[in-house]
Amino acid sequence: MNENYDPEIAIETRNLSKRFKDVLAVDSLYMSVKRGEIYGFLGPNGAGKTTTIKMIMGLIRATRGNIFLNGTRIDDGFDVEHRRKTGYLPEQVAFYRNLTPVQTLNFFCELKDVDKSIVVPLIEEVGLTDAIHRKVGTYSKGMVQLLGIAQAMIGNPSIYIFDEPMGGLDARWVKVTREKIRNLNKQGATVLFSSHILSEVQALCNRVAIIDEGKLLAVDTVPNLSKRLHIMPQLEITVPGLGGRVPEAVFNVPGVETAEAEGDKLLVTCDTDARVDVITALKEAGVEIRDFRTIEPSLEDAFVKMISGGGD
Amino acid sequence: MLGISLKAIYSVAKKEFADNVRNRWIVALTIIFVILMLLASYVAGAQTGGGSVLGGMEETVIGLMSIAVILIPLIAVMLGYASIAGECENGSMGILLSHPIRRGEILVGKLIGLGFVIVVSTVVGFGSAGILIAATVGAESGAAYVSFIGLTILSGFLYLSMAVLFSTIAKSRTKALGMGVVLIFWSMIYGMIIFGVYMATGGDIQGLMTGSEPFPNWLYASIVISPADLYQLAVMMAFEIKLVFGYSFDVPFFMTTEFAVMVQILWIELAVVLAYFSFKKRDI
Repeated sequence: MNENYDPEIAIETRNLSKRFKDVLAVDSLYMSVKRGEIYGFLGPNGAGKTTTIKMIMGLIRATRGNIFLNGTRIDDGFDVEHRRKTGYLPEQVAFYRNLTPVQTLNFFCELKDVDKSIVVPLIEEVGLTDAIHRKVGTYSKGMVQLLGIAQAMIGNPSIYIFDEPMGGLDARWVKVTREKIRNLNKQGATVLFSSHILSEVQALCNRVAIIDEGKLLAVDTVPNLSKRLHIMPQLEITVPGLGGRVPEAVFNVPGVETAEAEGDKLLVTCDTDARVDVITALKEAGVEIRDFRTIEPSLEDAFVKMISGGGD
Repeated sequence: MLGISLKAIYSVAKKEFADNVRNRWIVALTIIFVILMLLASYVAGAQTGGGSVLGGMEETVIGLMSIAVILIPLIAVMLGYASIAGECENGSMGILLSHPIRRGEILVGKLIGLGFVIVVSTVVGFGSAGILIAATVGAESGAAYVSFIGLTILSGFLYLSMAVLFSTIAKSRTKALGMGVVLIFWSMIYGMIIFGVYMATGGDIQGLMTGSEPFPNWLYASIVISPADLYQLAVMMAFEIKLVFGYSFDVPFFMTTEFAVMVQILWIELAVVLAYFSFKKRDI
């Protein structure tokens, strides 16, 4: 236990840094995840998310700094007991090719001292009952990921750490995974998960930390962050014969920030509520609309803004 | 709570055995091993129908040994090379280490589990050959045959612990496999290296063959750095074979089976200790 232990904090890093040869992958990171929250760890590939998570899991050694789980310092590397209370899903999930899911989970139950009677219900819970007799080596990526979640749930951990849990999965698996994370959180668990896709984080997290080049740029709730970053979805409207000219009507709609035309495409940045008004205003002005769609702002845009001083 | 969990070691050993005993490569190599062993015992010994038991025994032992000296290292390296590097590469090591288990326990558990696969392969290979020999020639050399099996398993453990050591050092499984192949190759060519050194230092093949100019002791002793030669020495001394393909050879008095066994155990101990430290400081 450390003297300044705050019982509301589940995961904390202080001055955490990792240097790989000449690259500072994580740079003096101070982060605290509150008990019972879903904490999103957002950043482009190579930002230092995985390195931070691996340091928290004790897979790689910190060059400097400390890590606390439930107030216990864990970076000295000797205590394995804290791992009974954490569930982890790495970025790349893999198991043992020639074992069945039951054999695989039995093995982890043995390590965690958990009764093996939970294994079959657990496989059922993540929806792999149909493939229960197959070897894990024959599983698809999504199925392996689900088995990974099942593995993490052994022993009902109070803390879950998921590294890109939806990376490379198709829509169906993303939905299943998202619901799983939400359920675990509802049952009282703290969840830290990383992603480079804004919409994944937006849909799930209480708070989001944005990390780039090993540095924490901002930590806040999703609405606050959007406000600070001025992230607004863009409306792309296809108008035949537009010819690169922006119709005057658009500018009269309240809530419209910018409007520009590229060939037949009209790009309007506006508040979410103003989108319908834009379409209506265009129709009333007699502009023929062939198609329209919303372009979610990319994380890269947010970073550009943040790095160029658009954040605070 | 710095104690070692035997239960965790046992769990890992059991998992490794279950996973690898079904590994296609290991199954295929074991089948090849069994076929070659049966062929060798038939051609060299069993074929004579016991007509020349003593000569048959020698030929048979050398035949079986020259198969085991290639296939057992192959099986051991195939089992060990991916054990750490492969699991780190594909992500399963990260998951394993997120459970309450120490790296030392993983290492020991793997060595035991994979070692057990070697025991199974060796016993299956030698067992089937042994049955054929006992049925056709007789079981006079039964006791020595059992130590033959033991010495082969020991040699397998040596290659396994080296392959696991390579697997803790190498960044990728491919590199670990490369190191394993170099070790096998090194063992195969060491005999030639010895002859090269012998000639270069003023040795004379003619004299060696006729026995007028014995092989220098220091050069003989240098086989301690060649696992395959240690194995072959141990086996030949166990069967008291002093004649190979018609050439007699006088080995220095200290080159006994016990000596070869001790040196191999030293190899294994060194490899395991180095593997432990290398794995402990490795970033996963």
